[in-house]
Amino acid sequence: MDRIECQWCKAQNETGRTNCTTCGAPLDKKDLVTDSGWAEAPRLRDMTEFRFSSSTCQIEGEIVPVAEIALAQGDSVFFEHHVMLWKEPQVPMSALNTGGGMKRTLGGMPHILSVAHGPGRVAFSRDATGEVVVLPLHPSMEIDLREHAFLAGTHSLTYSFVRIKGLANVLHGGGGMYMDRFVTQNEPGLLLLHGYGNVFQKTLQHGEKILVEPGGFLYKDSSVTMNVYKQNVKTGLMGGHSMYLAEMAGPGRVGIQSMYVHHGSE
Amino acid sequence: MTMPPPQGAYTCPYCRMASDGGGGTCPHCGAPVDVRLKVSDSGWIEQPPIRDMAHIRFGRSTCQVSGMYVPVAEMALHDDDSVYFSHHVLLHTDPNIRFGNLPLKGGWKRMRAGMPLIMMTAQGPGHIAFSADEPGETLAVPLAPGRAVDVVEHRFLVATANVNYNWQQSNLWFTTQDGDDEEWHYPLGKTLDQFAATGGNGLLLLHAPGNTFIRDLAPGQRILVQPGGLIWKDTSVRMFLHFEYPHGRYWFSSARYQAKSTWLTLQGPGRIAVGSVFERPEGSGSVRRTSGATTQQW
Repeated sequence: MDRIECQWCKAQNETGRTNCTTCGAPLDKKDLVTDSGWAEAPRLRDMTEFRFSSSTCQIEGEIVPVAEIALAQGDSVFFEHHVMLWKEPQVPMSALNTGGGMKRTLGGMPHILSVAHGPGRVAFSRDATGEVVVLPLHPSMEIDLREHAFLAGTHSLTYSFVRIKGLANVLHGGGGMYMDRFVTQNEPGLLLLHGYGNVFQKTLQHGEKILVEPGGFLYKDSSVTMNVYKQNVKTGLMGGHSMYLAEMAGPGRVGIQSMYVHHGSE
Repeated sequence: MTMPPPQGAYTCPYCRMASDGGGGTCPHCGAPVDVRLKVSDSGWIEQPPIRDMAHIRFGRSTCQVSGMYVPVAEMALHDDDSVYFSHHVLLHTDPNIRFGNLPLKGGWKRMRAGMPLIMMTAQGPGHIAFSADEPGETLAVPLAPGRAVDVVEHRFLVATANVNYNWQQSNLWFTTQDGDDEEWHYPLGKTLDQFAATGGNGLLLLHAPGNTFIRDLAPGQRILVQPGGLIWKDTSVRMFLHFEYPHGRYWFSSARYQAKSTWLTLQGPGRIAVGSVFERPEGSGSVRRTSGATTQQW
């Protein structure tokens, strides 16, 4: 039987489907890629539905989209509590201890992540115009994410956090002290993110480099290295200024958001 | 067989530049060529958003606009071309792009006015991309040689090197009395950016929050707009403040001593562009001195 491959997540779909069953990306629209190779994250159609495990997720709205999840018995999702928009009263909640206590306090990250268990419905959204990005993770994948950018992760993902290496990276990187890390073991998982503005993804070849405004960084495969690149700029007033960019080196995917908070000059 | 229309057969109603009209979008400003002109009953032309992935040509380079909420302007710079921009709008760049800086006059004054101190230059070859930090539209304003426009502060994204940059005091202010203190107000901001093309055609990219509307004012024709709504104007358009004092039925419902509305009067000839999102105006209070304003007691 003929199958259609989703250009975003590479999942195989039945012929005739208009949205990918794994990530919701439109299958009947051409990928939008800029001349330099940045692919726009697929714009999910209003009310698009896709599946994970025995549950479904529906994306509603387009300016600040809502991800509504119908959790099946035995499935659960974890999230930072401030992104929960509403839930059905009977949906049981628990807490996921993230470890790292004081480190997370210093890094401005929550001590615990909330967990919603099926059966029942729960919905998530963030606080500004942007896009929901769906990243299905195949077994044995590792992805690093800008802190506070994830909406929800499914129960099969292992959550940890990694310190951004190098004091210069922390002070001038604009992404805080830590990145969230999500790892899949034997089972696939699903990660929902919210990027401010529009989201673009580029796959870097081995050794290929790109400089990114640190506030624009959203996610990367853990195989991509991130270092600070200092750009000196001379001005007539008081000598000069320094501008810090994130130097990303492949191999792997890099995701950026087009609206960001600028931190990079002193 | 369909023959392509001759060069210059199509004049873009949004940027007034001529092209062959092929390719679906204007090569000078990215506006779609196959859409109906939307004009309000009062004469405002709605500026259509630049289509996702549309290309704009300048020099030997191209600019591709992608995204819809906070669009990204990605430039493929040729060896011979360069652009300048305020450093905070840079999103990503190839490592081989060569950076420099544009000398700016009046650093201290710019700092006091809250304007960026650094204007960086980027020289090709390579890709470099820019975006703003609020939802809205990217506006492309192609400038024919000799044409100049005034742009409200913080709307500038990036311009080609053959566009001269200058800035000046907006000279639009009023003061109010608060006890013994005199408060100064700048409804349009303290400064105004001015861009003028020299040599060949130049390209100016701006970011406008919300939707954008343009109109051409005839000589002497006036219109009142919210000061925070103005995005750019031809330098031939004059502007000054206007205060309105509405009349109520009773003395306590009238605004006899405190202006209720502060307007920006724009007087033709020339083109103006306003955005549908503007900063909420502060209460005017009892106006004491102005940079030159008209008043209306209703």
